[in-house]
Amino acid sequence: MPFRFLDNVAIADVAFEARGRTLPALFESCARALTEVMVDRRSVRPRKVERITLTSDSTENLLYDFLTDLIIRKDVESILFKEFLVSLDKSGRKLKCVARGELIDRKRHRLRNDVKAVTTHLFGIKRSDKGFSATVVLDI
Amino acid sequence: MLSNVAMKQVSDVLWEIPPSYKPGMRVPARIYANRELLEAMDRIVFEQVTNVACLPGIIRYSYAMADAHWGYGFPIGGVAAFDVEKGVISPGGIGFDINCGMRLLRTNLRFGEVKPKVRELVDLLFQLVPAGVGVKGTQRFAETQFEEITKWGVKWCAEHDLAWEDDPSHVEEGGYIKGAEPSKVSGQAKSRGISQFGTLGSGNHYLEIQVVDPARHFDPVLAQHFGIVHEDQVVVMIHCGSRGFGHQIATDYVRNFEGGMKRAGIQVRDRELASLPFNSREGQDYYGAMACAANFAFVNRQVIVQKIREAFGRVFHRDPEALDMHLVYDVCHNIAKVERHTYDGSTVEAIVHRKGATRSFGPGHPDIPPPYRSVGQPVIIGGSMETGSYLLVGTQRAMEETFGSTAHGSGRTMSRTAAKKSIRGHDLQKKMQEKGIYVKAATMDGLAEEAGMAYKDISQVVETMDRAGISKKVVALRPIGNVKG
Repeated sequence: MPFRFLDNVAIADVAFEARGRTLPALFESCARALTEVMVDRRSVRPRKVERITLTSDSTENLLYDFLTDLIIRKDVESILFKEFLVSLDKSGRKLKCVARGELIDRKRHRLRNDVKAVTTHLFGIKRSDKGFSATVVLDI
Repeated sequence: MLSNVAMKQVSDVLWEIPPSYKPGMRVPARIYANRELLEAMDRIVFEQVTNVACLPGIIRYSYAMADAHWGYGFPIGGVAAFDVEKGVISPGGIGFDINCGMRLLRTNLRFGEVKPKVRELVDLLFQLVPAGVGVKGTQRFAETQFEEITKWGVKWCAEHDLAWEDDPSHVEEGGYIKGAEPSKVSGQAKSRGISQFGTLGSGNHYLEIQVVDPARHFDPVLAQHFGIVHEDQVVVMIHCGSRGFGHQIATDYVRNFEGGMKRAGIQVRDRELASLPFNSREGQDYYGAMACAANFAFVNRQVIVQKIREAFGRVFHRDPEALDMHLVYDVCHNIAKVERHTYDGSTVEAIVHRKGATRSFGPGHPDIPPPYRSVGQPVIIGGSMETGSYLLVGTQRAMEETFGSTAHGSGRTMSRTAAKKSIRGHDLQKKMQEKGIYVKAATMDGLAEEAGMAYKDISQVVETMDRAGISKKVVALRPIGNVKG
């Protein structure tokens, strides 16, 4: 798995560390981890396609905004995603994502926690010889 | 835990960390806890409560209540009052779930009458009150209508046949906080709010049918003031907040504040402590937006109460009025409000932040509704699903010591993952049923995460606050049915 949940951080909430060989792969890992908190992704089918375009003032803020965007879509459009294909421009401040998922179906989806916000606690992207990693703490 | 913290014992339930503890502390920090709770308290609470003591304009003390635990920036269970002219406002001092709070509704039913109907009641409540991930609200609104809701809170409900006549006066601040400015709220926050009107949420949010515990009916005379006249009377407790609306406002303003702080040259020890002067443009904008979220949360709890009244009416084939389903009270536990306080002979106007802390105004305060004014404000403290909850009353001592504040609940001691590893949702449901508590949850994983063992012992928290005199016990409430989001 390109992400793991961190048990001893923010015990009332959920924290994870995600990895990616490239920045787009890191963004995709983070999106998958976020989704896994809300639903068992295996129960979601890739039936609806949404195209997400975002711009921010830094790569870290772009990741924060991307995850927040997915939370807003869950609340406003009742959509959860199974797959994400992310591309970033050279500056790392512009994102395009093709996300595939479907509307929430309480009978079929194995739903978990309702994530309400991404926090800035420990939030950040680190570079390593294997690529990139990010720590994210979600408010439940 | 305490060995490295220079802490002075003020009493057996009150401790003080002096400003010499770390550079930049403007006031001492005070922690309400008995020795056992203090020993068990996460060390980071001491760092967080002293970080808060460094913020500009803080008055008297930075407080941590007996249920204090780690939070973003401020500890949960934290109270801090800032001078309205020289002090700051901080989204981290309020929490993401703005005006998360507790509401207690009474009935005139006795345990024996409700016991055979608990399953039917819980199943119907589960059907009537939307709960869980991405759930849609009970009504849809145009943006302009939604703005009216956030501006007027429970007053809006009263005008739209969603409240009984005496409901607004039995809610903190009358169910609406003045100064709400919908124009200061982002479109994204509004979209989230519109879609979640009247929803319970998930995490630790619940609605619970409870019965007064006859063995822990501490003050029957005071209980009578609050409409609790029988030793086994049934009541309903609601714990929820402003849902995605409040969270989005907090998210938006933590980012906005970072820019404002750079411009104002304010530095803080933790990104989540983002703060700006209360009387600055950004500070006032946040307050206007926060008040919208607070009002939305009041409305959310009100709409849920109407559904509870409907459910009881349907199950007992009686008018909810005939079941005497009046509000005992509604308290905020994530909020900042402008309040006047008098201590040591001087009166101050302060922006009082309570994050995971409850207002606890004592007898005679004009903000308490007339039926309760002579005895003090009801304080509602929610425990875990298994351990039960408490009704307390505010005190004059809280007015003198803590800007009229006390604790809010129990606080987790075990992570969500660890709780899920320890017990399966279905097993917990069965175990609770054996104890006489019928639970219906939106998800079984979510239920396991809220197991009683994952929380601090609420009784210790309540005993400490009672002993400290900043709230006094009235009755303990034992759960018999629970709907969990």
